[in-house]
Amino acid sequence: MAGRGKLIAVIGDEDTVTGFLLGGIGELNKNRHPNFLVVEKDTTINEIEDTFRQLLNRDDIGIVLINQYIAEMVRHALDAHQRSIPAVLEIPSKDHPYDAAKDSILRRAKGMFTAEDLR
Amino acid sequence: METPFGAGLANILVVLPARLAVIGQPERRRLLSLSVTEKRLWLAMAGQDLRKELDSLLLQLLRDLEELEAKRVALNTRVEEGWLLLAKARYVMGTKSVGPLQYPSCMEPRVFVRASENQDTMQTFRLVRADAQTPEEVEPREAALRRRKGPNKSPEPELSAAPQDPLNWFGILVSHSLRQAQASFQDALQLAADIASLQIHIDWCQNQSQGLREKLRQLDSGAA
Repeated sequence: MAGRGKLIAVIGDEDTVTGFLLGGIGELNKNRHPNFLVVEKDTTINEIEDTFRQLLNRDDIGIVLINQYIAEMVRHALDAHQRSIPAVLEIPSKDHPYDAAKDSILRRAKGMFTAEDLR
Repeated sequence: METPFGAGLANILVVLPARLAVIGQPERRRLLSLSVTEKRLWLAMAGQDLRKELDSLLLQLLRDLEELEAKRVALNTRVEEGWLLLAKARYVMGTKSVGPLQYPSCMEPRVFVRASENQDTMQTFRLVRADAQTPEEVEPREAALRRRKGPNKSPEPELSAAPQDPLNWFGILVSHSLRQAQASFQDALQLAADIASLQIHIDWCQNQSQGLREKLRQLDSGAA
């Protein structure tokens, strides 16, 4: 199955995960950890962080989709992730619209241009 | 070397090895044999080349950021559309009938991303569907087997069945809104793959431009 490509993982609220699983990305079997996590009110930050790190360390995952409000909870783990694969994409949620100022990728791009560089 | 001219020469000779590190032997010998003025000119031209490269890299970066923004807006719209349609489906099918309770105990993915590297060792993602190949491969093989072995022998299924449509988790007859939600999220997945590729490209451009700026700084401090 090496040629089939990499998986897309998702960490999000119920609606986000259900929606993307409808799109056909879900993998769930006895052999491996699932590539999705539904974050509910009682899900701990540790659990989210563990799952996130686990997904980043897997070599069969290409993209990790994560609601931005959940990304805020594990921002330090996200900022520490420097490799290009898996790529991490922050998506809005129903209660928290997308805020470009919080996105790790865009913050890195913004920090590129200091006053000294443009002189 | 006490004179200003001598100090300048010393600076050039310090910077030159760094620049020479990327040049082959014959070129290196030729450069070291140049006069001081010729060396200064060579450094100035090298600086100009680097600046041009940096300019085009920064322009590419700005274009990528613009495209990223447009794709982000499209992704957010699709995803929000999808939630609305899920809510509509819940309204028709029942509040608890569209959610994690319906997830099966065994899922097989139908959508993957393939990372392909181009000449700059940059990765781009392509969305591929698992069932894209199965119909064409199965039919000719089955027909050929039937012809060879006669109508009595049924051909063995050599390919496993395509992964199940996730729509079936929610029942046999599902609301039209649920189908539309699936289409929205499928579009969103394609956009997500494009955005991931752009993010990687932006990261790469940033690293390249940082490297170029460092080289320019070395050249400028050497030529000063």
